[in-house]
Amino acid sequence: MQAEQLRVLVTKIGFDGHDRGSRVVAAYLRDAGMEVIYTPPWQEVAAVVALAMQEDVDVIGISSLATDHLIIPELMDALREAGLGHVTVIVGGIVPETEIRTLSEAGVARVFGPGASREDIVEQVTALGSESRKSKLSSDEFAI
Amino acid sequence: MTQVQFKTPNDPQEQLMLPGFDEAQADWRRDYDGQIGKDRRITNRSGIEIAPIYTPQDWNADRHMADLGFPGQAPYTRGIYPTMHRGRTWSQRQLIGLGTPADYNKRVRNILELGASAISLLPCNSGFRGIDCDESPLALLGTCGTVVNTVDHMDQALDQVPLDEISTAMNDPSPFTLFAFLLGVAKRRGIPWTKITGTSNQSDYISHYVANHMFYRLSQPGSRRVLVDHVAFCRANVPNWNPVSVVGQHMQQAGATPAETMGFALSTAIQYAEDCMARGMDPDTILPRFTFFFDISISFFEEVAKFRAGRRIWARIAKERLGAKDPRSWRFKFHGQTSGVDLTAQQPLNNIARVAVQATAGIFSGLQSMHTDAYDEAISCPTEEAARIAVATQNILREEAHLCDVIDPLGGSYYVETLTNQMEEDILKVMDQIDAAGGMYEAVGSGLVQTMIGQSALAAQEKIEDGTEKIVGVNCYREDDGTVEQPLPYRPDAGAMKAHVKAFRKFKRERSQQEVDTAISELRRASDNEEINVFEKVVDAASVGVTHGEIISTLREELGFGHPLMVA
Amino acid sequence: MRGEAMEMPKVSAFQRLLDGDVAALARAISLLETGGPVGDALADRLRDHVGSAGVVAFTGPPGAGKSTLINAYVSELRQRGESVAVLAVDPSSPLSGGAVLGDRTRMGEHSADARVFIRSVASRGHLGGLALSIPAIVDAVDAAGWSNIVLETVGAGQSETEIAEIADVNIVLNAPGLGDDVQAIKAGILEIADILVVNKCDLPLADRTIRQLKAMLQLRRAEGRNVPILPTSAERGEGIGALADAIAAKMDGARTWMADAGTSRRLPGLLRLRAEAAFHQQLHALPESDMESIVAKMTMEGLSVESATNMLTARAVAAGLHRPLLSAVANSERDHWHCGF
Repeated sequence: MQAEQLRVLVTKIGFDGHDRGSRVVAAYLRDAGMEVIYTPPWQEVAAVVALAMQEDVDVIGISSLATDHLIIPELMDALREAGLGHVTVIVGGIVPETEIRTLSEAGVARVFGPGASREDIVEQVTALGSESRKSKLSSDEFAI
Repeated sequence: MTQVQFKTPNDPQEQLMLPGFDEAQADWRRDYDGQIGKDRRITNRSGIEIAPIYTPQDWNADRHMADLGFPGQAPYTRGIYPTMHRGRTWSQRQLIGLGTPADYNKRVRNILELGASAISLLPCNSGFRGIDCDESPLALLGTCGTVVNTVDHMDQALDQVPLDEISTAMNDPSPFTLFAFLLGVAKRRGIPWTKITGTSNQSDYISHYVANHMFYRLSQPGSRRVLVDHVAFCRANVPNWNPVSVVGQHMQQAGATPAETMGFALSTAIQYAEDCMARGMDPDTILPRFTFFFDISISFFEEVAKFRAGRRIWARIAKERLGAKDPRSWRFKFHGQTSGVDLTAQQPLNNIARVAVQATAGIFSGLQSMHTDAYDEAISCPTEEAARIAVATQNILREEAHLCDVIDPLGGSYYVETLTNQMEEDILKVMDQIDAAGGMYEAVGSGLVQTMIGQSALAAQEKIEDGTEKIVGVNCYREDDGTVEQPLPYRPDAGAMKAHVKAFRKFKRERSQQEVDTAISELRRASDNEEINVFEKVVDAASVGVTHGEIISTLREELGFGHPLMVA
Repeated sequence: MRGEAMEMPKVSAFQRLLDGDVAALARAISLLETGGPVGDALADRLRDHVGSAGVVAFTGPPGAGKSTLINAYVSELRQRGESVAVLAVDPSSPLSGGAVLGDRTRMGEHSADARVFIRSVASRGHLGGLALSIPAIVDAVDAAGWSNIVLETVGAGQSETEIAEIADVNIVLNAPGLGDDVQAIKAGILEIADILVVNKCDLPLADRTIRQLKAMLQLRRAEGRNVPILPTSAERGEGIGALADAIAAKMDGARTWMADAGTSRRLPGLLRLRAEAAFHQQLHALPESDMESIVAKMTMEGLSVESATNMLTARAVAAGLHRPLLSAVANSERDHWHCGF
């Protein structure tokens, strides 16, 4: 009867500290009814994996305004290793076109550029999050 | 002149034929409302409603002496020096940071040849975070800023750069290791510290706490202590260095409106001045070396009004509130950087036009020093060609456009004067809020400033979403992205960076460990004892080969590790 | 990855939770939060596996530094070689039902520590200091083998008994300079405090706050409860050892009743929370005509306020007897949602 609320981790890895974008996106998702776990910048890859697991998130949104997207492939490997390969990872910010492909190949579901609209972000996160939810442990698996 | 004359012709017959002000205004109003309607409201980024026209009813020359005066005189609206850009134009100071120290050196010498008159060093983001290159992921090193971790690295970065002739700004937050390395290099080259000029560009730790969450450096109280010591050290040893630069830029980039930005910046300057004065420093020995650092956004008139109002408020505060008697203390010296927030990754060459408009606003505001962004800065660390065009933009505006012929050329415009007064009012309101919260240090600690900025950022984004604020190529005039080619991003040579890290490790193994240990224990001793200048010990440590990361981690242990303030 | 998991011998998710699998625990918490028949069934099943975890709640006004203090307390426990789980409750937006959960950011240094489990819980419209699902979530964390559980409540508007019934030791925080000083501590909350903490004790006026609290406690001395007042500075790490010692001592004192009450000790809290939420929900779901008819009786027939209130209460309860519990209790005017957006 009651739908499970989408849970999204909004974070920044690497070295850049500018968080205006991640804060605005966190507010968008909150206003769309999602529960957003928000972290300050400069998270370690291992910390993001632990957070995603403990908070049982459906989507991880990484904001990258400088060059921090260059270590996202490392994050994707770490997530898969921890059994969180089903969690959708999206990236927002400034990623040069030539490097978007590298991220897609590493498993990133979507890269939002600086012009991405609120509507587009909310719609995509909802769709992608509901999809990755399907691969999570279901309530039936707790009943046995 | 005491009376504004609306009718100037001398011929009485002609005068009769001209309509009176009221009648003309009523006629215009009717025509305007008929064609546009009454409902069309325009507000600027600071939330001030902009009228369709300004007249002597809004501002008139009766207020000339009260509001404007002359340049180099109170109330300083028109500029801080009598000659302004007619005497000496601004310093052309391009912020550069990329790759290894050798990469930086190549770029900086190139820029100096192109006409830059001052230099600026941006450290690698790993440095901002307080760690050395041997602890960082190789993929990120030098992609955003130059990897400078030791005095040797600084020596390489500034090879053949005449330190006694050129002003150097260090983008260097507390505890100012880059500046300490610079002093070490000067010592090596036999250049007296009194000849070193420039600015600690990122000394404003409060702005870091607000906008960049620089909590991976020192705790708020720790940063406060180091800054005051830094000011005291420079006053005694490097008298031509500006130890304080209040970075309004961080506030505006994080989303503060232009009026809020100026209010926060001025309140921050008051905080730093009062902290120094509490330690017994005379305001007239410190304020002449206070500088400001701002973003210049593309909201043209608003920016001009922001700077003119800020200059006026600072002069009054320095004199009346802080008690400075020397006019040099009243001067609001500022560096302007064209705002990267306004640049777009879409259709990147358009950014050249944006930067030219922003820079013009800065010039009309009477800035002392300027950085113009490269057009590809919204995509990556600037490529060489983009960096060249950024410098050329300044050259064109200065040499070709006749922008510097007249001092404060927008002064006396009904609009600009009205807006300057309105911005001043709004800035003062923000400053009152900060005062009520116990000053900037407290207002940041309690999260008030972050809350205000967060709300403004969201409101600004909503204006873009709903199309009130238009951005060409983003929410209007979009083109198929495939048709516009993006420049290739700058990435440092991986092999050279690997070699740089390897050499750094070797350097650490081979330096005198005894000297390093002594310097670090001195650093600890100073941290525990407020009587000893802790920054002096940073300088000593830097010159014997203690690294950036080692200095910071020592001070973190002693003065507290910064924690995130209000985040959500 | 999922495909590989299929080939391994199948261990049920519930068993994995009991074995301490963090992913299974995290998933179970989401199901408990969602509630409904699925969540209730899981909550019932968990009751048989509740262990003897000690639950410490930190309550206090916004700005007292709860998250920072909890972070310091967690560090202290880790230094003592203990594991710890933290449940940080933050308010949901009454407008959208969404939330930005940022409390754990102050506990960032423990993020990658396998012996620290932190979970952010949105209040989802519940107006106490907790979330409706908290008792069941505590059971789950307990069943997963975490013996130290820390509860961080919403900064304001807490109902004190609600917390007291779920935690074994209650810490009430205050800090100097929060408006009217100790007045910032809601009346009634002193009664549930097992330990009073004056955080930010390095600030001026800290002494005054401590004196004021002492005076307030004196008035209650007759009750014979020994409530220590501890100064701490979470920022500087001062007084944290003493706080941890005091919590340990209080926890020892609580062991007797914890043992007596055993696995049922959080049930009164759970039931009261749910009953209150159910009543609230039903009251607001009553048709407008019900209210109108009662108001009409008051104006036309002179029905007293007391009788009218009883009548309304009875109708709400009666309406709910055949109605399944809905856990969402939103639509409140009260908004404790103040963040930087």
